[in-house]
Amino acid sequence: MTSRRAVLSGALGAVVAGVGGCGRSPRAVQVAVVWSGGELTRFREVVKHYPRPVDVVSTRNDIDAFLSTRYRTANQPDVAIVPQIGLITDYARRGWLEPVPAEVSARFATPWQEMLTVDSAQYGAWVKAAHKSLVWYSPDRQSEPPPTWAEFVSMVQRLAAAGRPAPLAIGAADGWVLTDWLENLLIGFARAGEYQRLVDGTLAWDSPLVRSALGQLAAVWAIPGAFPDGIGRALITQQEESIIQVTEGRAAMVVEGDFVAATADKFRPAGAAPLASTRFPAVAGTRPLLVAGDAAVVFNGSSSGRDLVEWLTRPTSFQSWITAGGYLSPNLLIPPEAYGDARAVTRAAELRDASGTLQFDLSDQLRGSLGGPDGLGSWKILQDFLAEVTRPDAVDRAVRRLDRAAAQARREAGS
Amino acid sequence: MTGPASTRARLLGETVVIDDVGPGRRSRAYPSGGFASLLLTPIALLLGGILLWPVARTVQASLTGPDGQWVALANFRIALAAEGTWGVLGRTVLWAAVVPVVVIVLGYLLAVSRRAGTLLLLAPMALPLVVTGVMFRLFYDPDPARGTGSRVLTALAGLFGVPADSAPAWLGPDLITVALMSAFVWAWIGLPVVVFRAALDALPTDLADAVRSKGGGRLDVFRDALWRPLLRRTAAIVFALVALGTARAFDLILVMAPGSGLDEAATLAVRVWQTSGSATTGPAAALNTLWLAALGVGVVAAAVGGRQAWPPPVPAPVPIRAASDRSRWTTVRRALPILIALVWAVPVLALVATSLHSPQDAATRGWTTWSVRLSSYRDVLAQDELIRSLWFTAVLALSVTVLVVALALPAGYALARLRPPGTAAAGVLLVAASAVPVQVVAGPVNEVLELVGLAGTSFGLGLVHVALGAPFAVLVLRNALADVPGARVREARIAGRREWGVLWRTVPAAVPAIIAVAVLEFVQVWNDFVVGLLFGGAGTPLGLLLFGQTRQFVSNSGTLAAFAVLASVPPLVVIVLARRQVITGLVSGAVR
Repeated sequence: MTSRRAVLSGALGAVVAGVGGCGRSPRAVQVAVVWSGGELTRFREVVKHYPRPVDVVSTRNDIDAFLSTRYRTANQPDVAIVPQIGLITDYARRGWLEPVPAEVSARFATPWQEMLTVDSAQYGAWVKAAHKSLVWYSPDRQSEPPPTWAEFVSMVQRLAAAGRPAPLAIGAADGWVLTDWLENLLIGFARAGEYQRLVDGTLAWDSPLVRSALGQLAAVWAIPGAFPDGIGRALITQQEESIIQVTEGRAAMVVEGDFVAATADKFRPAGAAPLASTRFPAVAGTRPLLVAGDAAVVFNGSSSGRDLVEWLTRPTSFQSWITAGGYLSPNLLIPPEAYGDARAVTRAAELRDASGTLQFDLSDQLRGSLGGPDGLGSWKILQDFLAEVTRPDAVDRAVRRLDRAAAQARREAGS
Repeated sequence: MTGPASTRARLLGETVVIDDVGPGRRSRAYPSGGFASLLLTPIALLLGGILLWPVARTVQASLTGPDGQWVALANFRIALAAEGTWGVLGRTVLWAAVVPVVVIVLGYLLAVSRRAGTLLLLAPMALPLVVTGVMFRLFYDPDPARGTGSRVLTALAGLFGVPADSAPAWLGPDLITVALMSAFVWAWIGLPVVVFRAALDALPTDLADAVRSKGGGRLDVFRDALWRPLLRRTAAIVFALVALGTARAFDLILVMAPGSGLDEAATLAVRVWQTSGSATTGPAAALNTLWLAALGVGVVAAAVGGRQAWPPPVPAPVPIRAASDRSRWTTVRRALPILIALVWAVPVLALVATSLHSPQDAATRGWTTWSVRLSSYRDVLAQDELIRSLWFTAVLALSVTVLVVALALPAGYALARLRPPGTAAAGVLLVAASAVPVQVVAGPVNEVLELVGLAGTSFGLGLVHVALGAPFAVLVLRNALADVPGARVREARIAGRREWGVLWRTVPAAVPAIIAVAVLEFVQVWNDFVVGLLFGGAGTPLGLLLFGQTRQFVSNSGTLAAFAVLASVPPLVVIVLARRQVITGLVSGAVR
């Protein structure tokens, strides 16, 4: 009997060795990201230059679900590059993350450092920034959008009345596109500190600020013919497709961040000029400056993760992405001139802005499911708002839903 | 035949078994209990550790609070009170109720109408569900130039006077679930076709003649000669199988549903994943427990519906095709398969054609414009990750396959031939185990893996695959070994001096079933997405890599299509090569 068992276990052992064999090669550093498509390709090119193999896993927008599951099952990646800063706060408080060394945190300006500071330690380092107060248009077909919100609204009305192309492309299938619109208006309308109080939860969603911002959104979104093929189609148009709608001349403008440039260049028809961008119109006197970013965090005890994050924040690491376009960073070691392209240099300089008007993406900072992602929280609420924007009570309904979702998120955090 | 007294005593004991040609009855005093338990112990340990214990742990967690205190149904109340939970539950039930009916009706019509074309219908089962999702997402692209499905829908709406710009969209909130279900039906139709064909072949034809001779019409023939004696049971089993399978629609929903429609499309699996990251505590555990309970009902239904054994194959399978049958129905029967084959082929065609466009053309011109360019493939193959992932997935799938066969063959033999006490219960348990969705038990499974030091390793990932694949493999092999003719077993018993020898000599009769199990297991691991998502660590399986690319379509369609085509080739080749064994294996494993 013993010999038979030996044969059996020998056979099993051989297979075990077979499986183990592929794990024995020097383990790659694993990085979880939300990027996909072009951005993922660019990032993979970046880490190709890292001396060790790097395994990049894209989780799409469900990075919280992915990281939570993997952490609970003790096979979390070494590094995660997360756009939702709210998550970083959650993870840091749960003790999942390692603070970054002072040497790394010194590579960013103070407002950027503060965004990642949880209980006086900085968790994570910025590897990419996004300037999200931009309107993109094709200079071949379209004059520069006007500098004030009121003029912008009447321009959209005029274009919509003229028929094709529709004035606005909007990738409303991706909820974050809609929250970016809202945030630009919130920043424009907010009195000092109000925007931050929304983040902290000390200002109710049912407030004049949110109501007037939503009301102005409705003033544009409800214009008949504002989007190519209507609102229903807009809701199943993804962000990158909305850019292609502009390059193909089916829409005149698209409101989104600096990263639009990369996709727009890739799909630029032969002979057409590259898309141009201008700042989001001033709402109540000031032009909003909305920024967001992707921060790399290191999970507890991963020394290879620590090394990778240090490397990622070196000035030359992202050179290949900078050259390819569609990349900005708040990293002070990268001088704005390094971006080469005149547009990018301007935007990079604005990201450094010391005048204090810069505001971080609200939905990225919200805690729990209020922030998103797909199908949840503010992402979904704004999509529903767009779907019924022509109803007279659309703003009321959206405000009520936001309040309910905030209460639910608080309950979840409390439980 | 010389040996110590104990051996001789066992030999004497064996003669008792030799008399018994068929599976032994449980009441009979059984001498090989020790050997049977030796064969069953490894798989029992594995399934106990990776499936049963985690299920028990999940149920326990649903009834206790964060500190382990008893909270009765509080977690359930919280979970059900959360916004949208009832919608999600309703949709999950809808999936489990509607999809099987559609699959059965379509599958039956196809099974009776034509013998050829099985391969075309079986091929979708070989594709990863993530690929199916990509394919149908492209097919239903809202732009009529790119999405043929949308063009058809717009044209249909036009017939009813709905203008093109207010026509419904497949991916819109109203139709998204229909779109998802259609992709699922596309992928699963092969199963009922194969199973119904086997059932029809096993049917005595004189029954139909008898009904006809008494003046029965076509409907009477169907009811009395087909439905009542045989098809009702087959349909019940297929229903249960497909209903349980809809739990795996997870991959499809995540890939196909646009962000704005995810809420309208989400089933329990998606909701639990999104909101709790497969947490094992509190309300999430309560939802998981509800899910398990629903699956339990399905398993019981399957066990009750399939309690009667499959009728033994009738030697002369004469298709029921009387001369008087040449009517309009015959025309329909001839035309239907061709029509369905066309419908079935269009999404594949669209996928392949899209992959042959450059990413720019795929995004702007659509697949119907002629183009044979390989730049999308070049983009995909330029990624080191893909090559690494291909290797990882291949090694993983092969190792898991070997392990599953090595574990399931002895266990199947023990259950089919040695039949230790509790064999019947083991059968039900195996059916139940093959229905457990891995998301439900992810947390506890990992507690186990951590305990044995395998969390986050490729071996741990493989072990989870083995545990998930083994129950079905044991069922198939058990049935195959039970079918081995008695004479053959008797020969083996006489020639083989020891139990191992008998096992070894019986195995050749089950080679087709072993091939079927191996092929299905390989394909399942190759096509996996969920297990890799939850347990992958040291490497990235192909399904996960492809999923990561599906955040943006249109701009990415060319490369996505190329990737999907590349990922589908190995499982397709394997299934096509081993189609005979696979069909037999599916019929025997799925139905009994």
